[in-house]
Amino acid sequence: MNIFMREMKAHRKSLIFWCVGMIVMIISQMSKYTATSGDGQSLNTLMASMPKSLQAIIGSVSFDLSKLSGYYGMIFIYLALIATIHAAMLGADIISKEERDKTSEFLFVKPVSRNKVVTAKLSAAFVNIIILNIVTLITSIGLAGKYSKGEPLTSVIVNLMLGMFVLQLIFMFLGTGIAAVSNNPKGASSLAMGILLTTFILYNAIGMNSHLEVLKYLTPYKYFDAKNLISSVGFEPVFMILSALIILVLFTVTYVFYRRRDLEV
Amino acid sequence: MNAIEIKNLTKNYGTARGIENVSFNVEEGEIFGFIGPNGAGKSTTIRTLLALIHPTSGSATIFGKDCIKFAPEIAKEVGYLPSEVFYYDNMRVIDLLKYSASFYKKDCTKRIKELSEIMELDLKKKIDDLSFGNKKKVGIIQGLLHEPKLIILDEPTSGLDPLMQRKFFALLQEENKKGATILFSSHILSEVQKMCNRVAIIKEGKLITVEKISTLEENTYKKFKLEMKLVLDKNYFKMNGVNNLEAKDNVISFLFKGNLNLIMKRISELEITNIWIEEPDLEEIFIHYYVKED
Repeated sequence: MNIFMREMKAHRKSLIFWCVGMIVMIISQMSKYTATSGDGQSLNTLMASMPKSLQAIIGSVSFDLSKLSGYYGMIFIYLALIATIHAAMLGADIISKEERDKTSEFLFVKPVSRNKVVTAKLSAAFVNIIILNIVTLITSIGLAGKYSKGEPLTSVIVNLMLGMFVLQLIFMFLGTGIAAVSNNPKGASSLAMGILLTTFILYNAIGMNSHLEVLKYLTPYKYFDAKNLISSVGFEPVFMILSALIILVLFTVTYVFYRRRDLEV
Repeated sequence: MNAIEIKNLTKNYGTARGIENVSFNVEEGEIFGFIGPNGAGKSTTIRTLLALIHPTSGSATIFGKDCIKFAPEIAKEVGYLPSEVFYYDNMRVIDLLKYSASFYKKDCTKRIKELSEIMELDLKKKIDDLSFGNKKKVGIIQGLLHEPKLIILDEPTSGLDPLMQRKFFALLQEENKKGATILFSSHILSEVQKMCNRVAIIKEGKLITVEKISTLEENTYKKFKLEMKLVLDKNYFKMNGVNNLEAKDNVISFLFKGNLNLIMKRISELEITNIWIEEPDLEEIFIHYYVKED
């Protein structure tokens, strides 16, 4: 419990910054919707007149932008990007910080097993990403109520946030897994971020080029595609299973490798 | 009963040297010195004992338990002062000590107060603002606050002024009287000499010898340098136990090992203007042990 509290305290400030950033992002995007959606179809027509690849980058393909649900679906990927960057950095940082800050000679000579240390740290990271997720959820529902013109959005947003939560978990465990395996505590965060950006670029590439569709299993962002979560398709079992597997593997890697490693001092 | 038993402990760091087949025991209740030059493998040995790193081969036990398998259990009875102390930034001294104490199922408040008074440490200061020496004091207190049965110190005196060093040694001796075993690593022999019953000497990852301090003192050379009124034939000092005899004008120097009374008698017959009798430094001790090996 003491390590958990220590980590919560250590990450409090950074969590507040991430939450504020997320809220500002949602407000600015949502207010853009009111500015552009003056007359229902105009945004759809505008988007449709753009080249397909540009639409893919903006993420407007296959969303009905005359509705707030469609518009929210379009901006979801950016919210997910922010939340996953936070999760990956947090995961890598929380595991590698003792070695980076040279405090391992303090913590690991205490009567506490490495497994317990990892559990405490993972719990703290877990609570952090939940808080960011809930802040995103509440801000989105709150603002949606203001702009939706009566369209019921809550269940759509809840679904999207569930998807985002699984994404956060995947990338958090990616961070902790890399930090546990890596011999270079300072590089863990950059490596996690590199992998994250690669999968994000792949996600965009698949959107632009339908030949790349087969690669969708390689990028978690595709597992929770907003257009499916909004429509009747919902969560696809294959992606849920894949997510669970990835999380399980990275979770195990984190514990096993951290227990065995030689701590740098 | 042995507090620490190290058997053929080996640690390789890829190509870099670690330690090789190190074996020695530390008895319960003794103050044991562990000396060697920088990079000899002292810290590697200690970090293996503390399960921060895993041995390549060999094993070590503390209070009869394997130091890796039972690390958390052993840690309850072990206090450790690392050679360089680093702590979480943005914490006050008292917060850190309380955090440290929270790992032991004991109330350490009184002890923290006691120790901080002895070491003259302001508990309200931020750790970031402390000098190197004061950070070391934080390390000493957090290593001793749970009244450990085994105290492991890695180069404990660096950064402490002589007055603090004396207080710290007094503190250790008191803990030792209460029954604590102490393992004390250092590259300065004289420091260890004052405190310890026995020492292990390590160089280039290999244990050279384990000796009682008293034996070590008998066996070591003293450095003599004499300045005389007249130029003397250096053969005057050709006797058993004299080595490295050198004469330059009216100054004669040599290393001596053996009964000091004999050499003092010989010197007393001379008219000298100045004399230096010095402890050989650690390097010379090592040279001595290498000679013995060959």
